[in-house]
Amino acid sequence: MSEKNNSMMERLDEFLLDVQKPSRYIGGEPGSVVKDKSEVDIRFAFCFPDTYEIGMSHLGMKILYGLKNAVPNYWCERVFMPLPDMEEQMRQRNIPLYALESLDPIKDFDFIGFTLQYEMSFTNILEMLDLAGVPVLAKDRTGLTPIVMAGGPCACNPEPLADFFDFFAIGEGEEMNLEFMRVMEECKREGATRQEFLRRAAQIEGIYVPSLYDIAYNEDGTVKSITPKDGAPAKVRKRIIKDFDKAYTPDNFVVPLTGIVHDRAVVEVLRGCIRGCRFCQAGFIYRPYREKQIDTILDQTRCLCDNTGYDEVSLSSLSTGDYKDIEGLLTQLTDFTTAEKINLSLPSLRVDRFSDEVLKKITDVRKSGLTFAPEGGTQRIRDVINKNVTEQNVMDSVKIAFEGGYTNIKLYFMMGLPTETLEDIKGVYDLAKAVIEQFYATPGHAKGRPGVSVSLSTFIPKPFTPFEFEPQLDEDSVRERQRYLKTINTDRKITISYPSYELSLIEAVLARGDRRVGKAIYTAWKKGCKLDGWDEYFRFDLWKEAFADCGLDMAFYANRRRSYDEIPPWDHIDMLVSREFLIEENKRAHAGVTTPNCREKCSGCGVSKCVGGDVCRAIR
Amino acid sequence: MCAVPSVNTRAFFSKTGRAKYISHLDLSSTVIRAMKRTKLPIWQTEGFNPRTYVTFMLPLSLGQEGEHEAMDFRLTEDVPFDEVKERLNAALPPDIRVTEVTVPKDKNTDITAARWRIDFTCDPDKLRRLCEKEQINVEKRTKKGVSTVDLKPLMTDVEIAGNQLMLTLPAGNSFNINPALLFEAYTAEYGEQVKRLRIVRTNIYSGEREFE
Ligand code: SF4
Repeated sequence: MSEKNNSMMERLDEFLLDVQKPSRYIGGEPGSVVKDKSEVDIRFAFCFPDTYEIGMSHLGMKILYGLKNAVPNYWCERVFMPLPDMEEQMRQRNIPLYALESLDPIKDFDFIGFTLQYEMSFTNILEMLDLAGVPVLAKDRTGLTPIVMAGGPCACNPEPLADFFDFFAIGEGEEMNLEFMRVMEECKREGATRQEFLRRAAQIEGIYVPSLYDIAYNEDGTVKSITPKDGAPAKVRKRIIKDFDKAYTPDNFVVPLTGIVHDRAVVEVLRGCIRGCRFCQAGFIYRPYREKQIDTILDQTRCLCDNTGYDEVSLSSLSTGDYKDIEGLLTQLTDFTTAEKINLSLPSLRVDRFSDEVLKKITDVRKSGLTFAPEGGTQRIRDVINKNVTEQNVMDSVKIAFEGGYTNIKLYFMMGLPTETLEDIKGVYDLAKAVIEQFYATPGHAKGRPGVSVSLSTFIPKPFTPFEFEPQLDEDSVRERQRYLKTINTDRKITISYPSYELSLIEAVLARGDRRVGKAIYTAWKKGCKLDGWDEYFRFDLWKEAFADCGLDMAFYANRRRSYDEIPPWDHIDMLVSREFLIEENKRAHAGVTTPNCREKCSGCGVSKCVGGDVCRAIR
Repeated sequence: MCAVPSVNTRAFFSKTGRAKYISHLDLSSTVIRAMKRTKLPIWQTEGFNPRTYVTFMLPLSLGQEGEHEAMDFRLTEDVPFDEVKERLNAALPPDIRVTEVTVPKDKNTDITAARWRIDFTCDPDKLRRLCEKEQINVEKRTKKGVSTVDLKPLMTDVEIAGNQLMLTLPAGNSFNINPALLFEAYTAEYGEQVKRLRIVRTNIYSGEREFE
C-alpha cells in the first residue's frame, strides 16, 4: 500500500470507531481488487448511491466491477453512500469521499460512475459528488477528468438528472463500459479536452451526452422539441449485448466482512421478461427476453460458490419460473446444491406451477417466506394491467404454503391503477379473506392462527410502459380509498399497510420529469434532502418547498393525463419498444383486453426488428 | 509436520490494519468462508445445517489489533501444515495472516494472560505516575453489571518508552482485563480525555510461558 493510503488510513483510524459498523467504510474484503497504480491507465469509481449493505447486494455492480477489472490497465473501485454519522465526521475532518480499494479520493479518478436503480436515490448522488469535492453541476466541471456518468434502469429517462451528469449509458453496460473507457485512454494520450471526449463518446451507440441536446418547451409546459448538436444522434438507442449466454459473468464476488442485505452468491439465469405487465418498467426496458443455457448456469454457480465460499446461492431474474426448462434447471441445480450442502433460494418464483417432485427439492433446501403479488384485487383490474394471475393461482400457491406448515402470507397490491374503482379495492379485501378461508380448508394446516399482511402501495406510472400516459392517483382519492378499505376490513387476521404516499408522489414526479426538474432536485438537496428512500430521513416538506421555489408544479408531472401525441421528455431515448406499441397497449388496457406473453405470441413491440428476429424466435 | 486424520489443529494469526474493524462475530464468518474457499478438509458439524467448526480464543474488542491470535479447528485428512497455512493465507483478507499452523499443546482454558502494546498520545509522565500508584481503581463492566477492580496488582511487566506502553494483563475465558481500562483510569485521575489509542495484543500466555 502506498504512503498516501497509509495516511488516509491513519486519518480514518482517528474516528472510525465512533461510527456505526466501521468495517463497511474500510474495504479490504476478500475478492476486492487491488492493483498497482503505476500499471493502471484508467481509474473508475463505481458509485452506488445507497448504503454499503444495499449496494453490495446488487448484481449489476458486481458484473461491471469484474468486467472492468479484468482489463489489466483499468482499475474499478467501489464507493457507497456514507450514513449521516460517517458523513458528519468526514465533513468535519475534510476527508473527501474515497474509494474502498485504494482509499484514494475519487475526485482524482478518470470516471465517477453511478448506477441509477431507484429515483429516491437521486439526492444521494448530489451528496456524494459534493462530499467528493466534485462540482455537482456538469457545467461547472472543467479539465478532462473526472467524467461523471450514470447507467442503470432510471437512465431511460435521464432528463431530471441531465444537469448533473456528463453522459449516460443507456441499456446493457457490458460492452459500452469498455468502449468509453477506451475513448478516455485515447483522449488522455492526446491531451484532449472534456468537450472533445464527450463529443467522441456521443458517437458510441447507447451513450447520451445531455449537453449536446437543446430542449424547447411549449407554453403549456410540455416539451416542444429536442434538438441534437455537434453530430450527436437524434435518437440514442439502448445497447444490448450480442450473446447473453456468453456475456461476461464475474467468477468471484467481493465477499463483505459484515452482514449485507443479500449476502450470498447470485447467478443470473435470464434477462428480460416475457410477461408484459403494463405497469412494470423492467418488463419493457429489459426486452428482449433471453436465457442462459443450463450448463452455463451450472458452471457459473459452481465457480461462484467455490470462489466466494458462500453456502447460499440465489437465482436472479425478473421471473425465474418463465425459464423454458425450469424443471430441468432446478433438478440439475439441486443435485449440485444438495451434494455441496448449499442453500438454493429462488426469489420471484411462482410455486403453483411445479410438480410435487421439484417442489419438494426446493422447499427441502430452504423454506423461504411466502409472498405473492397479485397487484390488483379483481380479475377485471388484473386484465387491465395484464397481470397474468388468477384467484385460483393464488389459492393453489397458498395451499402449498399452508400444507408446508406456514401460517402467514404476504400479499402485494397497487392502488390507483388505471380504471380502478372501489369495487377493485374491495377485491383486495376479498382476496385476503379468501386466503384466510383457504387456510382452514387446507387439510393438515398448522395449529396456529393464520395471518395475511396486505401491502397496498400507490401506483407510479413509469416511462416506456403502456401506462406512461396515465395520471397518478391524487392524494384525496388515495386517502379516500384507504379509508374505504379500513371500514370494510373487519377481520383481525388481515393487516393492511400503505407504503408512504408522499414518497410515491416524488418518485412519480422524478420518473417522468423533464430537464427542469433537475433544479428542484438540486434545491431539495440544498435544503438537506438525502437518503430519501429511508423513512427516517425522507423530508416531504422540503421537497414540496423545493418544487415551489423552482416554480414547478408536481401535479403537472405526476397527476396529468398525457396525450398520445405529446412529446415525452425522454423522446430522444430509444429503448427499442416502439411508441406505437405502447399506445396500442394503453388502449387495450382501457378496453380490459389482455395481451399474450412473448412465448405464446409475438405482439410486435418493436424490439425484435432492432435485434434481429432470432432472439425473439428463441423465446418460443 | 503432518496432521493425522481428524486431529485438532491450531492456527496462530494476526489481525491488523483494516481487519481491526472486523467485529468478533464477523471474524468467524469471514474465516469460515475463507476456509470453504480453500477446500481444505476441515471438519464440519453434522446435521441439517452443517457448519465449519472453528473456535477462536479471546475475542478482541473492535478496533484492537492482534499479532498472535489463535483459533482451533479439525482437519479430517492429512495435509502438511505448511500447505494449510499457505492455502488459508491465499483465501483470507490481506490483513488477516496465518503465521503458524501447529498441533495444540495447551487447552484454551490454560490461557492466563496476554501481553499488550499500546501507542498513546497522552502525557507519558502522567501515565507513569498513574502506573506507580498504590491502587488503580476502575469500573469494569461485565454481563453481571459494574464492579470496581484494582488494576495495580493485575498489571505486570509494565514498560513505558516514549509514547509506547507494554504490559501484561490477565486474560482467559473467565477473567479478562481490557487495557483500555487503564486509560479510563487516566481520564478519571487527570480529567483528560485520551485520544485514540492503538492497542495491539502481541502475545498470549499460559502461566509463565507462551501459549502453544
Ligand atoms: S418483438 Fe415480440 S417477442 Fe420480441 S419482445 Fe417484443 S413482443 Fe416479445
